[in-house]
Amino acid sequence: MNLIGKRRIWYSISFIMIVPGVISLALFGLKLGIDFTAGELLTAQGTVSVAQAQTAASGLGFQDIQVEPAGHNQTEIRYRDPAPQGQHEADHQKFKAALQQAGFSELSFDSIGPTVSATIARNAIVSLVVVSLAIVLYIAFAFRNAPPPVSPWSFGFMAIAALLHDALFVLGVFSLLGHFAGIEVDSLFVTAVLTVIGFSVHDTIVVFDRIRENLRRDKGSFETVVNNSILETVARSINTSLTVLLTLLALFLFGGESIRTFVLALLIGIASGTYSSIFNASPLLVTWHNYKLKKVEKARLAPKKA
Amino acid sequence: MSLRLKFILILVLAVVTGLLAMPREDLVFSALGFKHVKLSVKQGLDLQGGAQLVFQADLSKTPSDQRDTAMASLVTVMTRRANIGGTQEVTVQQEGSNRVAVGLPGVKNVNQAINQIGKTANLTFVEVNSQSGAETPTDISGNDVDSATADYDPTKDQPDVVLKLKSGDSTKKFADLTTKLSQNGDLLLTLLDGQPTFGPARTEAITDGTAILTGNLNINQARQIADEITAGALPVPVTLVEQETVGPTLGKESVQQSLVAGIIGLSVVALFMLMYYRLAGLLAVCALAIYTSITLTLYKLSALVPGYTIVLTLAGIAGFILSIGMAVDANILIFERMKEELRAGKSFVAATEAAFDRAWTSIRDSNVSTLITCVILYATSSATPIIRGFAVTLGLGVVVSMFTAVVVTRTLLRVVIRQSWGRNLRSYGLRSSGEAGE
Repeated sequence: MNLIGKRRIWYSISFIMIVPGVISLALFGLKLGIDFTAGELLTAQGTVSVAQAQTAASGLGFQDIQVEPAGHNQTEIRYRDPAPQGQHEADHQKFKAALQQAGFSELSFDSIGPTVSATIARNAIVSLVVVSLAIVLYIAFAFRNAPPPVSPWSFGFMAIAALLHDALFVLGVFSLLGHFAGIEVDSLFVTAVLTVIGFSVHDTIVVFDRIRENLRRDKGSFETVVNNSILETVARSINTSLTVLLTLLALFLFGGESIRTFVLALLIGIASGTYSSIFNASPLLVTWHNYKLKKVEKARLAPKKA
Repeated sequence: MSLRLKFILILVLAVVTGLLAMPREDLVFSALGFKHVKLSVKQGLDLQGGAQLVFQADLSKTPSDQRDTAMASLVTVMTRRANIGGTQEVTVQQEGSNRVAVGLPGVKNVNQAINQIGKTANLTFVEVNSQSGAETPTDISGNDVDSATADYDPTKDQPDVVLKLKSGDSTKKFADLTTKLSQNGDLLLTLLDGQPTFGPARTEAITDGTAILTGNLNINQARQIADEITAGALPVPVTLVEQETVGPTLGKESVQQSLVAGIIGLSVVALFMLMYYRLAGLLAVCALAIYTSITLTLYKLSALVPGYTIVLTLAGIAGFILSIGMAVDANILIFERMKEELRAGKSFVAATEAAFDRAWTSIRDSNVSTLITCVILYATSSATPIIRGFAVTLGLGVVVSMFTAVVVTRTLLRVVIRQSWGRNLRSYGLRSSGEAGE
């Protein structure tokens, strides 16, 4: 089977999968949760209607009250309290009491102030950048004695390309989910994206490792070596992802409500990671290699023309 | 180390951690003669219910060289206050340069807790001129007070607060003040956080350092004020910037759901390994069981070491369950490689050794990349304990699973292929039957 020969098809599939999400990201962005925007989130037992929530909040001056059902007969109520920080808890207590009177008990309550949300957002960005950089460096180091024709850095950068593919896919899907289904991203989502990045590289390395091994044995052209390496590792790539996906699926179906979004992000990302490690990272090595060959060829031919 | 010794050590490890990991490990201890030894996994606030409060200190009026000291004493005072009347284990930690996170497991009245912990409780005394009503502040403050207790005066049928001043200077200052006031017939006003709380009232000369303050209080208020004064004033004012409250029912539900998810996840993975890799799969499942025992034992033991306790949060459980899926990753890499070598006609012994050698670089590199992610997540998550919990359990899972997948599975496999029944190609999911060479 010639997977590498069909690489344009694999790239197109990735393109088609990613583009809607990227457009959505550009147009709508992500629906940021209170971790990033600051605000309050109260989870109540029972199905609270918008009118009921507004009645309970009357006189408290809350802004942007949003009421969303959260499954398991629970309702999430988000609001922003424009009063000074010291006043928030007193307002929350009044709101809680009013809800209690309407027959809804409070299950959990989160309140995040603007300074905290700024820290969380900064940490999220810092960790994304640092993780990506650390991984490129590690791969370049781990593959430092990879035999020619590819440089260790190519391995690192192609792994990053696959990783960006997965991160973009997850971000895109959540941008769409945020716009059309109201799903918010929180700091756990950032954790999910980082974990997906770690896993994506995890899968990619398995194939790269085989490519390196086969290059040492020198079996045919670079393209053939990469193709064989993918085929030889496809069972383990799929099986290793399958076990992780199975456990995640168990968590998604039976785990707690509060981490469902987190698990969904992991599920999507790891599925994408499996695809990208087989169909993107290694074919990209070939594409990159061919591009460089052409450049060398051009450079060799150029002086003759002159 | 000989194979036999290794195998025995692994058996011992499996039995010991297996017993420790059990929910009722105290039965084992009591059977061995150690009564009342009970280990438990420390649960985060999102699982056991409670509140996480983050206060931000206003350091704008504190000179920059005194800020660290101010924060340290802030943590001390807040710890004292958080512990008032509490039986549950509270945690008070500094976060970043100017925040303090307070964890209150099982707290019922969050609002009261916030007031109790976040109130500055600055005690001050003011002289009030009985003629003009003019107020003159004194240099006596809460810092001069050693302790305060709520008391009840049966003659007046009124609760009061008994202040015990620190001996020496503080007692003397207070004696001088009260002597002067009683001679002039002036009044003493006591303020708490700038609010008139006791008086203004006439006072007699108090020279023994024990002052009885009366005001319009009920006994509960008197107790609360006494506790606040005893715990001391906060060195700097604070505001609540973050609050997370989880009701006890939601936490219990989460534990239950995660447990179900974990058992199902584990079973599905075990089933998959058995069906796909047969005998080798069985060994992987054994390794997975040992992995689970070791990890749970580590969680439990870490609770005995303050400062290094692994606090299990909901996200942490997700990290743990995720690491179950990953724990078999390494085994899959090894078994696939082994099948490949067997297909190529190698003997079982040669195929096994080659599989471990060749798969090792993949296992190492891929796990290191996950570990890098965990370390960075840990380092950047001081403000978000939920993420930290995830990073810790996933990271620990990666390390332990590398050990079980490589050392444990390898030893078990080496033992098995030395038995005649362990050298059947079919038992490893390969089609051709028969026995390969030794």
